[in-house]
Amino acid sequence: MKTIDSYRRSDLILEILLIILALGMVVPIYYLFITTFKSSIDATLHPMWLPVEWKFLGYVEAWKAMNYPRVFLNNLVITVSSVAGVLLFASLAAYSFARRQTRLNNFIFYLILIGVTVPFQVATIPLFRLISNLGLIDNPAAVIFVNIFTLISFNIFLIKNFINTVPMELEESASIDGCGVTGTFFRITLPLLLPVIATVAILNTLTTWNDFFSPLLFLQSREKGVILQEVYRNIGKFSVDWTAFFPMMVLGIAPLLAFYVFMQRFIISGITTGAVKG
Amino acid sequence: MKTTGWNLKRNVTFQLFVLPALIGYLIFYIYPLVQTFIYSFTNYSLYHLDMEWIGIDNYTRLFKDDSVIIGIKNTVIYALLITLLQNGLAIPLAIALNRPLKSRNGLRLVFFAPAVLSPLVVGFLWSYLMSSTDYGLINQALRAIGLNDVNWLGNPKLALYSILLTQVWQWTGYAMVIYLANLQGISKDYYEAASIDGAKAWTVFRQITLPLLLPSISFNTVMGMIGGLKVFDVIFAMTGGGPGHSTETIVMTLINKGITESQFGYGSSFAVVFSLLIMIVAFIQLKVLKKWEERLF
Repeated sequence: MKTIDSYRRSDLILEILLIILALGMVVPIYYLFITTFKSSIDATLHPMWLPVEWKFLGYVEAWKAMNYPRVFLNNLVITVSSVAGVLLFASLAAYSFARRQTRLNNFIFYLILIGVTVPFQVATIPLFRLISNLGLIDNPAAVIFVNIFTLISFNIFLIKNFINTVPMELEESASIDGCGVTGTFFRITLPLLLPVIATVAILNTLTTWNDFFSPLLFLQSREKGVILQEVYRNIGKFSVDWTAFFPMMVLGIAPLLAFYVFMQRFIISGITTGAVKG
Repeated sequence: MKTTGWNLKRNVTFQLFVLPALIGYLIFYIYPLVQTFIYSFTNYSLYHLDMEWIGIDNYTRLFKDDSVIIGIKNTVIYALLITLLQNGLAIPLAIALNRPLKSRNGLRLVFFAPAVLSPLVVGFLWSYLMSSTDYGLINQALRAIGLNDVNWLGNPKLALYSILLTQVWQWTGYAMVIYLANLQGISKDYYEAASIDGAKAWTVFRQITLPLLLPSISFNTVMGMIGGLKVFDVIFAMTGGGPGHSTETIVMTLINKGITESQFGYGSSFAVVFSLLIMIVAFIQLKVLKKWEERLF
């Protein structure tokens, strides 16, 4: 008997249409990569063809002009510290909100939910003053703190929803065995939270790595800046030799794109676990 | 006696768990937000560093300021359209990819890929693609098939929609992946039963797929709206708000008034209005979706 899941002729047509659509979607990315190897004349005359003459020097120059190793490291420090910080603080708080629904806890939880809707950008002026008063201008800690405590609302929201679906029996038996709250959390609950932790870790990584707003605001010297600031600094510098900017764009997206290509299964299933359960 | 001490210790520990998140959140988020609210009733600016109370003057001025009204209008149009288009395209795409296609994993990889790119770089890239100079790829393609050039980013009537197009390209795959996961969690039995009953494809969609997709529809539309209302990077990269004010959105206006022009008090009143707007929109959306959920089940 033919089941609902067998491959039909209509699926073949569907498949062909989707492949055409996917090819269309890849065109901008293909164009971005192929243009990095071309002279501007070649790119204007034959935008979609392979280069008449492959040129690789563009990458060498972009690498040097952007001070790439330095800004890459800055990006990495900011992303890793922000993601680790937000995951630790958010899962601790979410655990408390899920398992102790006291009036105080519920009030704090609703207060924290404001952060899911109102973007912190609306408070840019006082935030900037706060950061300068704390002496954190041009210090990566400024971006890290702002990342952690503006992402925390959404993180707590997703993690708490997930904890609500985790049965309490294991924790209860651990507590009967004399295990304290902290011990129960780190030994019993946290391992069960790994699927949702993976989800928010990936979402947070994408957001903080690609963040341009906070670095633009708080990091002013080139020594402390991130990759995207270097890309931004160079836009419009090459009006005649316009293809020289393309390797910089590629260097701007390459780290996350590589991360995605190598970890794609993990990333896609990770993103969906938390969102759909939540 | 021992149990009370034990319970007290447990309760204190639970409360301590909230503390790091709460303290940081109060300092770096709530405190600036409250200050914004306070500033909004003052004439605080670079010329009035000793701020004075001016009541609701900023607010009355706000609703007469054309650039502010344009900013709100652009943002609302943008957020509504991005949410509609992104979800309207992502749902059929996810249903198609839920078929047992041979290239399913590869297609999913490609459709999601733009979501990992930085919106700033995506903005720069598309401004090359949409450029009106002789290297603009899209206009070259239009010329090749005998059509006229389109001034994608230079025409004030069109620029916002051109930007919208790039963001549909970037985010539809993301929404699709979430729908796809939701679809894969729906039991096949529903569909088997419907097919035995001889139900039409549209009926199956309306009666089975759509109601069961509601959790991800709520997630995607609320996130799409909020993301749309605070759009910044891509517009900053593509037009900087121009030509004129035609693509200026709320966050951009906010930065212009509050930081570039240093009108801290006035900019803050705009920030307050925007915060209320975004909270109302999210609230209404959740209510409507909840109603919808009740009606469909």
